[in-house]
Amino acid sequence: MRLSLLFIAAGFLVVLLQTTVLHLLPLGRFVPDLALVLCVYLGLNHPTVGAVLGSFILGYSVDVFSAGGVLGLNAFAFSLVFLAVYVSSRAIWVHSPLSSAPVVFFASWIKVAALQGVWTLFLAMEGLGAGALKYTLVDAILAAVLAPGIFSLLKRGQSYLEEVRMPVL
Amino acid sequence: MLSFVRRYQVLVSSFLCVLLSLYLVAPAAKGGSRADPIGPILIALIRPLQTGVRAVVSGTKDVYQGYLALIGLSAENDRLRSRIVELEAERNRLLEAEATNKRLRELMDFRSELPPGSITASVIGNSASTWFNSVLLDKGTSHGVNKGMGVVSLMGVVGQVVSATSKNAKVLLITDPHSGVDVLTQQSRARGIVAGSLETGPIMKYVKRSEDLQEGERLVTSGLDGVFPKGLLVGTISKVQKKSFGLFQHVEVNLAVDPSRIEEILVVRGQPAQAQN
Repeated sequence: MRLSLLFIAAGFLVVLLQTTVLHLLPLGRFVPDLALVLCVYLGLNHPTVGAVLGSFILGYSVDVFSAGGVLGLNAFAFSLVFLAVYVSSRAIWVHSPLSSAPVVFFASWIKVAALQGVWTLFLAMEGLGAGALKYTLVDAILAAVLAPGIFSLLKRGQSYLEEVRMPVL
Repeated sequence: MLSFVRRYQVLVSSFLCVLLSLYLVAPAAKGGSRADPIGPILIALIRPLQTGVRAVVSGTKDVYQGYLALIGLSAENDRLRSRIVELEAERNRLLEAEATNKRLRELMDFRSELPPGSITASVIGNSASTWFNSVLLDKGTSHGVNKGMGVVSLMGVVGQVVSATSKNAKVLLITDPHSGVDVLTQQSRARGIVAGSLETGPIMKYVKRSEDLQEGERLVTSGLDGVFPKGLLVGTISKVQKKSFGLFQHVEVNLAVDPSRIEEILVVRGQPAQAQN
């Protein structure tokens, strides 16, 4: 229960930061995708139905705050990222926060592939073209750079809650 | 069956979420959207926090600017320094208030030139994703802001309201690749659609090869989309390129407005296209 509250709070914070403070960084139109990092963390460390729903709601929140009216677009991408990370987590052993960076980097590409897929196939919209590659790369690098720090924070929060829950005998 | 579901509950629930997302996206293929009961709740929960964060950021900026102004003073002037910090913060606050006042006054003057029913609003949040360029406004349906209304600033066209709750509205900015504003060139009167692009920045689409466009030519709204009144500045042509093939020419645009810097805007009601014609 406490763990769920931790992730709900983290989700809120992530959406809040992405819609406010992170836009002040001198990164042009790029916004570090903290929600994606949280989604990957859940996929790697919390293979539960609650985490699946958490990822879906994270994507849904991003839709609510940005998707230009297309509800479900990011919810789809985040659910797919969770699924991909969960399936591959059986083969990947992320033993330190630093090794989360490549996982988040690839997850970012999966997310964009999912968005692009829905755009072009499902919504019959024009694709984003070659410029999308540059944006995906920068987006993925930004998320990957921030991933170790966020993983480390979440792990600390998690172990703190676990220590509080289990009194020392 | 039940044991299968239990054993693979994460996989099953993930697939269900993927299907649910596609179910949500599906109506957009026909230009519609599903009723969103959760979105307004999420916005209502985040809105006060966004407003708070904005206030804190603004305050911090004032203090930081005040601090920067004091670098170089010696330590013995501590008392004076703190006094100066206070005064500097106060001055920044007053300058900011004066600038806001000026902007709002200009906005009110501009408003009188627009069709009646224009609504002044402030930007309180930005898009949560790199892939979409949108902002959240502090006014919604209860203030008269509705889906489909145009959004402009003193400098020119900003975007279009794509959804609205009772207290907030979401604006798809003109820099988003999925946006589109019907425009005319001011001299040659060529028509086209200005939209965002990830490759080159904003472009003017669907301009016939036969049109003779000049770099630096101003683009104004045509008024034919029923969203924006006719004659609002959109930007200027920065590059014209005619390839050896294709029906249309490639036109790049310098927008009149930098949407990342807007704070106060006007939401306008366009006139129906028939009325314009």
